[in-house]
Amino acid sequence: MPPVSRSNVRMLAVLAWTSVLSPRQAPAQAGGDGEWTMPARDYASTRFSSLAQITPANATRLRPVWTFSTGVLAGHQGQPLVVKNTMYVVTPWPNVLYAFDLTEEGYPLKWKYRPDVSPNAIGLACCDVISRGASFADGKIVYNLLDGHTVAVDAESGREVWKTRIGDLQEGETTPMAPLVVKDRVIVGASGGEFGIYGWVKGLDLQTGKVVWTARNLGPDAEVLARPGTFTPFYDKGTDLGKTSWPGETYRTGGAPVWGWMSYDPELDLFYYGVGNPAPYNPEQRVGDNKWSSSVLARRPSDGSLVWAYQFTPNDNWDYDANAAMILADVSAGGRVRKALVTFNKNGFQYTLDRATGQVLAAPPYVHVTWAKRIDLETGRPVLDSTKLTGASKGNVKGICPSLEGGVSPSSPAAYSPRTGLFYTSTNNMCMDFAAVSAQRVRGTPFVGAGSPYHAGPGGHLGGFMAWDASAGRKVWEIKEHFPNWSGSLVTAGDVAFYGTLDGWFKAVDARTGKLLSKFKVGSGVVGNPISYRGPDGKQYVAVYAGIGGDWTLLAGDVRSDDPADVRPPSDPYKDLGRHTSQGGIVWIFGL
Amino acid sequence: MVLAAAALLAATACNDDREAGVQRPASGNDTGDRIVAGGAAPPAGALSAVRPANPDPDDGAKLFGAMNCDGCHGGGAIGWVGPSLVDGRWRYGGSDEEIFNSIFYGRPKGMPAYGGVLGTDGAWLLVAYIKAQDVPPVVPTTSWLPGGSAAGSPPAQPE
Repeated sequence: MPPVSRSNVRMLAVLAWTSVLSPRQAPAQAGGDGEWTMPARDYASTRFSSLAQITPANATRLRPVWTFSTGVLAGHQGQPLVVKNTMYVVTPWPNVLYAFDLTEEGYPLKWKYRPDVSPNAIGLACCDVISRGASFADGKIVYNLLDGHTVAVDAESGREVWKTRIGDLQEGETTPMAPLVVKDRVIVGASGGEFGIYGWVKGLDLQTGKVVWTARNLGPDAEVLARPGTFTPFYDKGTDLGKTSWPGETYRTGGAPVWGWMSYDPELDLFYYGVGNPAPYNPEQRVGDNKWSSSVLARRPSDGSLVWAYQFTPNDNWDYDANAAMILADVSAGGRVRKALVTFNKNGFQYTLDRATGQVLAAPPYVHVTWAKRIDLETGRPVLDSTKLTGASKGNVKGICPSLEGGVSPSSPAAYSPRTGLFYTSTNNMCMDFAAVSAQRVRGTPFVGAGSPYHAGPGGHLGGFMAWDASAGRKVWEIKEHFPNWSGSLVTAGDVAFYGTLDGWFKAVDARTGKLLSKFKVGSGVVGNPISYRGPDGKQYVAVYAGIGGDWTLLAGDVRSDDPADVRPPSDPYKDLGRHTSQGGIVWIFGL
Repeated sequence: MVLAAAALLAATACNDDREAGVQRPASGNDTGDRIVAGGAAPPAGALSAVRPANPDPDDGAKLFGAMNCDGCHGGGAIGWVGPSLVDGRWRYGGSDEEIFNSIFYGRPKGMPAYGGVLGTDGAWLLVAYIKAQDVPPVVPTTSWLPGGSAAGSPPAQPE
């Protein structure tokens, strides 16, 4: 590996933290280099910390310096924020917000905000009652309650500033995603791809919480906010694509949820987000491309106008949601540096897109892939293996790789270091069989219609953590893990990368070589995303949640024991998971 | 997102393609932004709903798929978003009447009140299906031990 940053790889985020952006463009968003004010640290979603005290030479001395039990047992996805010597933690449902004073010994509680949140959301959350965290802007902590509300809480006092209903539980909409705040807009979306929602994003006013615009991810142009002259997709032509690519009115229950991560390019004034699966899973009930499910969309934050869209998986047969992190970096492609968007799609391909136009520049597979042979760069479409197409008439289709958990789980955002030029991500090595059946929608209940047991991919291990060179389209190093890996990633200017495992290890590795530097057993499996910040004492710290969950296949067997009236057999292919971890909800801070 | 692994539908889409909005029970607790999902006490006389003479568990199995019960409770009712119905353990009681009430009137944490969609006959068919399932004395949860089963008290038998 080259010892210093590559000339062909630069990063948008560098601009963000050196305050090149005018305050008018991005109020209160840059944050000091020791803070962590938004889910992915910067608008480019790099999860790169410029702190460099922790290095491969000293990381062997990392030790826990503080822990805190959140009092909640569900899957602890997402990440804390650190703003002005205060750490903010959002729990899974019931979505408690904690503020801890980092200036005093023991980090005592400053305040705790306990929202009124409906328990009915529990039964409508497909994949555990998780939260993916908050954003800080303009003195407010902004986050979503699971039951279809967004709240803004005063960061100093803990007082609720506003609360807005954004989703409708009756329609199967729940809201675990972390809002993105751009200028005066709070951008939010809804989960419910398994409940046949009519998927959307909304732009709220940061000061009042009022819904300023609503944009569907599917349906007619008027509802998608695809305006003539503004919407210029690279590959697709025509009007009302989000309607005409569905049979009849099926788009109205077509899913296309927003449950992942959002990025923003201040120069282009575009925000980017992935859209999830079409509903139901049985593709024969929705013949057509089903735009814009399993796609990435680029919109203007001010009014929601759609500028471009690209569909990774047309007529998604495999539940390949596209909600993974969209990382903005300048990457070499075709012999020159491009303003790129890099994402590790569930479908097993790593896409490098021109983030101004939506053109696919490269799309190599990053895990074992069987459903498609390659991505055709001329058309942007996958070249399918017809034997892996699913549907109610096709019975049980075997040997589809990756599984619908994804080659990378979208819940587990990757990181990018401008120093190494590499992307860092958890991976899954799983395949599936897929048996689709006809499904009927009953409002507010699941709209799925498929069974999809998993099995290990080539090699037998179920997951890992890897460094990936997007310019070369290749894996640089990989650490194999026994279980699937569902934590997010962190990489620092000290060239240390961090991740956690489902069996409860939190690990620090050399970002250039993948050599393990330290590990600590954190009490429960890790599905959260590590962050790094500078404490009031001037020292660098790393924080992460432990707390397994976020998927019902994990919360089976002896992993779970919180309900004596609900006992389940362990799930394939990780039946022995309960031997290594159980539920928890713990904030950990590590330091030297 | 991920839900499918346990959601093997039993069969058959319903012939009726109605958009079956769940109706409110007479004493519902809907507060506008909450689904009608239970917590409401059954009205007086509810248990006197006429029970079909011989509800067929196989018909109940078809309803279990067609009404998306398996979408929440999993294929084979082994548990998913909603709890397992084949572990012999019950949050709200495992007698026929208690299960009927859970289905018909809903329960907190997201069990919709299905009475308006199913009617009493449909709810009794589901009771018949659920009660026909084979329930092991102890659900095996410990794959690494011989026999796959660890210590755990067998569930109490419902009244």
